[in-house]
Amino acid sequence: MGTFRYMIRDTWRLLSRHSGLSFLTIVTSVAVFFLVGASILFVLNTRYLVETVEGDLTIQAYVQNSEEALETVARKAISYDSVSSVKVVTAKEALERLKARLGKLAEAVALLEENPLPPSVEVQVKKASFATVIARELITMPEVEEVVYAGDIAERLQKISRFVSRLSMVVLVVSLASAALVLFNTIRIGVYARKDEISKMLLVGASRSFVIFPYVLQGVLLGTLGAALSVLLLWFSYGMALTTLERSLPFLRLLTDRLIVLRVGAVLVLAGLSVGWICSWLAASRFVRRASRSM
Amino acid sequence: MEIRFAGVTKQFPPDIVALQDIFLSIDKGEFVYLVGPTGSGKTTLLRLVTRELVPTKGRVTVGDVNIRKIASHNLAYLRRNIGVVFQDFRLLPDLTVHENIDFVQEVIGVPFQSVQKRTNEVLDRLGLWRKRNLFPEQISGGEQQRVAIGRAIANSPSILLADEPTGNLDTDTADEILQLLLSINASGTTLVVATHNQYIVDSYRQRVIELRKGRLIRDERKGRYRSDGDL
Repeated sequence: MGTFRYMIRDTWRLLSRHSGLSFLTIVTSVAVFFLVGASILFVLNTRYLVETVEGDLTIQAYVQNSEEALETVARKAISYDSVSSVKVVTAKEALERLKARLGKLAEAVALLEENPLPPSVEVQVKKASFATVIARELITMPEVEEVVYAGDIAERLQKISRFVSRLSMVVLVVSLASAALVLFNTIRIGVYARKDEISKMLLVGASRSFVIFPYVLQGVLLGTLGAALSVLLLWFSYGMALTTLERSLPFLRLLTDRLIVLRVGAVLVLAGLSVGWICSWLAASRFVRRASRSM
Repeated sequence: MEIRFAGVTKQFPPDIVALQDIFLSIDKGEFVYLVGPTGSGKTTLLRLVTRELVPTKGRVTVGDVNIRKIASHNLAYLRRNIGVVFQDFRLLPDLTVHENIDFVQEVIGVPFQSVQKRTNEVLDRLGLWRKRNLFPEQISGGEQQRVAIGRAIANSPSILLADEPTGNLDTDTADEILQLLLSINASGTTLVVATHNQYIVDSYRQRVIELRKGRLIRDERKGRYRSDGDL
């Protein structure tokens, strides 16, 4: 109990003696872990977007405005094994759908003198991976003017997602390295400022682990506190970002469940704890080992 | 705990010989003065006992332990049996008198209540009770020396090493410190006092070991030593 009491008091002494440095370390940790958390959330959202788009199994084949053309394309489409259903959407139906989607703005459509929308055949494939093959088959038909399907967008998004993931990995490594370096130096300054005290502690019979423990606790506290505060910041800023994006880009599908921030937060706190622990242990043990080595 | 030096030589790089071929035996409960001029090897000898240094040649044994062979995790336990009073006191300036004495007990895991009890005993014995809440810079040199002694004896060590404990003190204060050291020795603690204070060596007759240029030149049993000039 006496030992524990001493260690806690000593850790507090370390934190308060270099309060400015401790504050700076926490601020740096908050900035770093916020950056890491934001990158992770960005990657997760990009992946979610890709998955959502990929999951769309519909191919829209726009056809010349004739019933014969519509029938030919529909018949051809249903003949493929990988197609589960085919639906003919006439120009009139397309206009109705548009009105329904526009809601209050639907009155604007009435101002149009004639229907500008082309008829189309809506092809539903059994699996997302069949979409590209079927789309390529359909576009070769002379009756088909244009084919639109999610796979094309998904491919482009996939490329962006891969790039973002790589970039995030770089951000992650650089940020964590900076946090580690700042923590390492903070602890090292603390150790050097007390080198006399440490040599006395060792001389009166304190074990190395006893000497090192308050520094490790200091590192763990600074790292964890920095990460925890960054999670708090991330929670509020993610909420704000969602609200803003939902308003300005309503079609964008994002991870709206904010529990995701807590999951990412748990990882960040664990990372903060580990970085704090490893860095402080390295900084303190190196010095203490050297101080306790006999000449 | 007894201390044995068997053919001990300590050399510092590149070729400074601090101690040469020392054979020495200090028995449990003995009071020994280690005398000699500055640079004669007194402090090196003390640092070999605490294993701050390891001998270049020969063997230093403290109790049953050969200090060269002691594992680093056992070193802490050995040191808990050795109290050291440094020449420059080396008190922790940020801690009060009682905290300085608490500190050495806390770092070896003494329970809180026992720490308080023992610190109070030590402060009482050293006559420092009224100064317990002052910081080292607020007390006199003699009082600082007493705190340093208090810190060294707080864990009731078997051996007490004192390096120039009366170094910067006047005769009256030196007397006080010596009385204190004698009382500590009387309770069974082996005491090694490195000094070149001729006055205390002559006034409080004990065994005297004299070093010069790293060699042991004289080892006089209690009462036989007569200083022949500057120590």
